[in-house]
Amino acid sequence: MTGTRDPQQDGTIQAMLGDSGLESAAELRSALEQLRAVVPDAAPAPRADLAALLAAGTAGATGLAAAPDAATTTALPTVASAKNDADESLPAGVTSLAGRRGRKRRLAIVGGAVVGAMTLGAGAVAASSEDFRHSVSHTVGVIFQAPGHGGTPAPERVQPSPSTIPALPAPVATPGHGTPGADLSGASTPSSSSTPGAPAAGHAPPATPPAVGRDGILPTPGQRPGAPGLPGSPDLPGGGGNAGKDLPRVPGHITPTLPGVVPTKAPGQP
Amino acid sequence: MAQQLSDDELSAALAGDPSGFSAVYTVISPAVLGYFRARGVDDAEALTQDVFVDVLPKLAGVSGGHAGLRTFIFSVAHARLVDYRRRAERTPHLAEYDPLNDARYSASAEDEVLGSLGGISDTLARLNEEQREVLVLRIVADLSIEQVAGIMDKTPGAIKQLQRRGLSALRELVTEKDHAAS
Repeated sequence: MTGTRDPQQDGTIQAMLGDSGLESAAELRSALEQLRAVVPDAAPAPRADLAALLAAGTAGATGLAAAPDAATTTALPTVASAKNDADESLPAGVTSLAGRRGRKRRLAIVGGAVVGAMTLGAGAVAASSEDFRHSVSHTVGVIFQAPGHGGTPAPERVQPSPSTIPALPAPVATPGHGTPGADLSGASTPSSSSTPGAPAAGHAPPATPPAVGRDGILPTPGQRPGAPGLPGSPDLPGGGGNAGKDLPRVPGHITPTLPGVVPTKAPGQP
Repeated sequence: MAQQLSDDELSAALAGDPSGFSAVYTVISPAVLGYFRARGVDDAEALTQDVFVDVLPKLAGVSGGHAGLRTFIFSVAHARLVDYRRRAERTPHLAEYDPLNDARYSASAEDEVLGSLGGISDTLARLNEEQREVLVLRIVADLSIEQVAGIMDKTPGAIKQLQRRGLSALRELVTEKDHAAS
């Protein structure tokens, strides 16, 4: 194969091998000659549009050879038209991407501006009005509580309960734990001016405080839902007399939902 | 490749005169076709003709004589190849069922022998992308280091380094294949 190619091309391969210090690698040389043999000897037959382009050239060439005056007159317009086509408008089948690129960028900018403006607006509303924040937290609470309970009647009783219950469990719970704690709590409660009011309120709803006091551990969860007001309180009045039993269900309901999700996935996976 | 452009044809082509187009196509298109084939393009002839349809009307602005013409045409071909690769990445590969490509069958002894004879493009395919491009541009397109550097937008030193590494990697592959075949 070495002899079939002209010496100049062999010179290229030789020079490449010499540059890399691999002159002695015979197998590499044969591989490179094999690679050079990929080049076909003849040009591929031109396609229709390319043939038209080439035919314009050959017609011009023969015309030039035969009669220069006539050929220049016929050939020049084709040249001019070809050049104009290439310069001003894109060739057939080629679409300019510049317009689309600009459109895409414009879309991205407009989208970013809209999202940014909406974020700013929502942030401003949330910062200015408390009602908005409350309603948002309310809706979020409703959304996350709704699948666990059908507590729609409960929220009506919510409003009286937070006033009574959070005041009560603190004094009631501490006597439940121990007598020395009761003294301290008793000393603390008289210090506040509403000491007569607190026992009165404690006696007024007799059902709930005993229920809370029996379990002893419960008052702290009882206070926690009372402070946010809305989400935990449906359980307390919803239970009514069974408040002590409903309270443990709150974590009880939340935790089963997670396993409830997991088993559905587990059979789905295999 | 055996033919060379005459100076008249070259000057006509570089002046934008279509009388030189045919000569340019006849002389340079085999190298472009070989370039695309060596790089494993499916329809190398179509891509070659795309290149020339694109290039021929723009020859008027080319300077640098033979080398400049070659550099210009192969830089367009290189860009077309990059476009082709990007397009091929995005389009799903559709192929008819070919029992030879079925991985559940093992090749016969005859296939292995035949494959080990003429598999230079397979060997090339195992090289680094840039090394392969440098080797193909240097050998198939017959360009100098500086021309390849201009096309690939690198310094001549980087091209030399790529060429050296590509050649030594190719040598390892070739000797390894020879050992495996023998």
